[in-house]
Amino acid sequence: MIGFGLRLAVASGREALVRFVVIAAAVALGVGLLLSTVAGVRALDAQVGRIGWLKPQPAAGAPAADPLVWSTRWDYFGGKTIDRVDVGLTGPHPPVVPGLPRVPAPGEYYVSPALHDLIASHPADELAARFPGREAGIIDDSALASPDSLVAVVGRPADEVAAIPGARRVASISTDAPPIPVAALDLVLSVIAGGLLFPVLIFISTATRLSAARREQRFAAMRLVGATPRQVSTLAAVESTAAAVIGTAAGFALFPALRALMAQFPFTGMRFFPDDLSPGWLAAVLIALGVPLAAALAARLAMRRVRISPLGVARQVTPRPPRAWRLIPLAVGLAELTYFIGRRPPTSNGQVAAFLPGFLVIMVGLVLAGPWITMVGARLMARRARRLPTLVAARRLADNPQAAFRAISGVVLGLFVVSVATGVITTIVDQRGARESPLAAVTMLRHFDRDSDQVPGALLARLRGTPGVTFTLVTRENPDDTPDSPAGVAECAELARIPQYGRCAPGAVVAGVPYGLASVWNRDAEQPGPDMMWPASPVTVEELAALPIQTLVVGLDGTPAAHERVRTVLELAYPDQRVPPATENDFMGNSRTQLNQFQQLANVVMLFSLPIAGCSLAVSVAAGIVDRKRPFSLLRLTGVPLRMLRRVVALESAVPLLAVAVLAAVTGFAAAQLFLRAQLEYTLTPPGWSFYVLTALGLAVSLAIIASTLPLLERVTGPETARNE
Amino acid sequence: MTGPVIEARDAVLSFGETQALRKASFEAGPGEIVAVMGPSGSGKTTLLHCLAGILVPGEGEIRFDGRRIDTLSEHERSTLRRERFGFVFQFGQLVPELTVEENVALPLLLGGLKRSEALRQARGWLERLGLGGMQRRRSGELSGGQAQRVALARGMINRPQVLFADEPTGSLDSLTGEQVMDLMVGVAREQGTTVVLVTHEPRVAVYADREVIVRDGTVHALTAERSGS
Repeated sequence: MIGFGLRLAVASGREALVRFVVIAAAVALGVGLLLSTVAGVRALDAQVGRIGWLKPQPAAGAPAADPLVWSTRWDYFGGKTIDRVDVGLTGPHPPVVPGLPRVPAPGEYYVSPALHDLIASHPADELAARFPGREAGIIDDSALASPDSLVAVVGRPADEVAAIPGARRVASISTDAPPIPVAALDLVLSVIAGGLLFPVLIFISTATRLSAARREQRFAAMRLVGATPRQVSTLAAVESTAAAVIGTAAGFALFPALRALMAQFPFTGMRFFPDDLSPGWLAAVLIALGVPLAAALAARLAMRRVRISPLGVARQVTPRPPRAWRLIPLAVGLAELTYFIGRRPPTSNGQVAAFLPGFLVIMVGLVLAGPWITMVGARLMARRARRLPTLVAARRLADNPQAAFRAISGVVLGLFVVSVATGVITTIVDQRGARESPLAAVTMLRHFDRDSDQVPGALLARLRGTPGVTFTLVTRENPDDTPDSPAGVAECAELARIPQYGRCAPGAVVAGVPYGLASVWNRDAEQPGPDMMWPASPVTVEELAALPIQTLVVGLDGTPAAHERVRTVLELAYPDQRVPPATENDFMGNSRTQLNQFQQLANVVMLFSLPIAGCSLAVSVAAGIVDRKRPFSLLRLTGVPLRMLRRVVALESAVPLLAVAVLAAVTGFAAAQLFLRAQLEYTLTPPGWSFYVLTALGLAVSLAIIASTLPLLERVTGPETARNE
Repeated sequence: MTGPVIEARDAVLSFGETQALRKASFEAGPGEIVAVMGPSGSGKTTLLHCLAGILVPGEGEIRFDGRRIDTLSEHERSTLRRERFGFVFQFGQLVPELTVEENVALPLLLGGLKRSEALRQARGWLERLGLGGMQRRRSGELSGGQAQRVALARGMINRPQVLFADEPTGSLDSLTGEQVMDLMVGVAREQGTTVVLVTHEPRVAVYADREVIVRDGTVHALTAERSGS
């Protein structure tokens, strides 16, 4: 029976072969994506797990006899973040540091390969000088998140390390504790996986419907010559399973190519090591066995929906119309996000636990509510239809809205993901961008962790002598710490030399200024600029000199070399400060890069999911045409123009596609607005033109795919179809 | 004497190597019911398709009301079929998504008539053919005989000059077939509609005024005038 089923699948005509190939191709794509998603999650775990040592937690087992004095800080270079660990030996038996052959002695350091290359390709006064001593070796990949990781482990005397704020003694190092909230990335990955995988699963299920009617007639003919229902069911399962087995194998073959692509894409801000991108044997076995098994089960289930008798095929009556309860999950998801407005959980994990279910429930809700909305829309359309094509299309949609929506549900999820991402990202960028001034890129500040009332004259002289430095200014802590008063104070004689930032009130000697002049910390403060009027402070010049220093502000000419040279000078002058010297743009650079990457991912989801969803649509359109070829042919014979039938078919697909595109975008922006209100207290900013262009492009591709099936209508509705014999 | 309403003169049509019509000639006068008989593959459906302007013969002429229609464009022939002809086929002619009344109203809707008026007329025809109360049903909810009566109502709603019926009782039992034929002949006579009835069943052909037989693509007269029923 199995051999016969296989022969039927591949050797019973072109139509059967095309169907077989389409199912296999859809399964291959699905399996490739499934493997990639599992591999991505595992790579993320591996990436995060391997860098747990940067913020060491005690490991199980006996601690080392001589603990290390340990400080983890960060630094910047060229817009990238460097993780820097300072270690101080307290004896000959320190704990083992992952990725290092030994703990560096004072005057030695280990660097990651990427940082090694960066140091080698830039002048020493821009980067290398920040690491005192000599490079003792390279940190092994096993202790790095990514080939792009910039990490340095610097050996220094223990007392120097102990002087850095936050330094502590470390007697053992566990690599289990992740330093960043993995759940946040899981959120992103689950949303992306949903956006990518769902259209593929829909495509697979739609592909199995291709020429179903013809196949069922063939099975009816077999029943006539004595095949039992069980044998017919087995034949159907063999066909689907064989296609799924070949598709699964092809999916595994496709995976290395997808893996190579994924390894190039910095999902978390850094690329994965290709070796990390492995689904693991357990998932691989489950996928290899599970997909064909699922295909066999799906085929058997599909056969239960039709009753194949020796005298023909009887389809079950029109499916029950969807009920309004389908709207409940969508409403629950939106309500859940609304609930957290003003109730934002304090921790990252708490926020993920709050928002992740909301987004996922909305996605499920969209898929559930879609058929009901399609049905209501179609009924309205039928009631108002003035033209015949609209009436026929509306009736068909209203009759089986589940089938109509199934073919386009991939588009809904893709567009939802993109709308949420675009809405959130556009708003964040807009909100932050509005507060950024051009000065943010050229104003570097040295934050002072500790009380100090003096900046060494030699340092100021050296800074002023550094090419690219335009000015230096010391701001001190404002003794008036009432909430509305400026964070710092500065001497007006100094401020007068930099009118581009603002000017003192007339007659003022000392003025209140925002933190570091460029408002890194206080985002609500007015931004500096030529029109800025610094408020007068009652502090005298003498009192000012005795106040603790808040920041040392250095003006830059905007060249990258000056930027890094000044940072190096400041780091060497204050080697025990925890926060690195940085401009506001440096501080913001990380999140901006990550936002861009998320946007990129969202675009990938849309550009991928829309054409796949378009393919599903094309298959379902083709199946709809073939199923109705006789009534369509007879209508043509009675004088109905072909263009009218084309309009019927086009409307059946395009109307729900465009309607749900609007629904998905509106829901996506609503969810984004709720998230922004709850998490950041922002109001949604409308997306830029690129969003509309991209959406229109995706929809145009989908419509073009639908249009490509229309010639089939002319081919299958010729007079020969109307013949009775 | 009035000329024929629908006429084929020496029509020749081939499908590849196969010659379906070989100088076939046929004519039917106003209000006349002509049965076209013949074995399977003889060319009777092809003849009907040529007469209705669905197919165009390679040689010969097809005339309707004395005007050649084989020289018209596809668009003109479609309009002609929609406005002047009616059709009843063996099965599967109803649009499954539409209700019974919408199926009947289809030709009027295609002609641009207001929906409410088209549906009103459709309901009138349904009453007339004994299908009152079924207007909201779908084609899948009808018996074979009911579906054929709906098809007949649709074929007649435009008050066509010619009704083409291709094996209209082919999928019905004999009793239901007779009921459908009674109705068809009755309304055709009432409207003065010419009927070209393709069938291979003699018991259906007896409803016709005249019978012709198609053999190997040529038409032969079988009976002379038969009195109207």
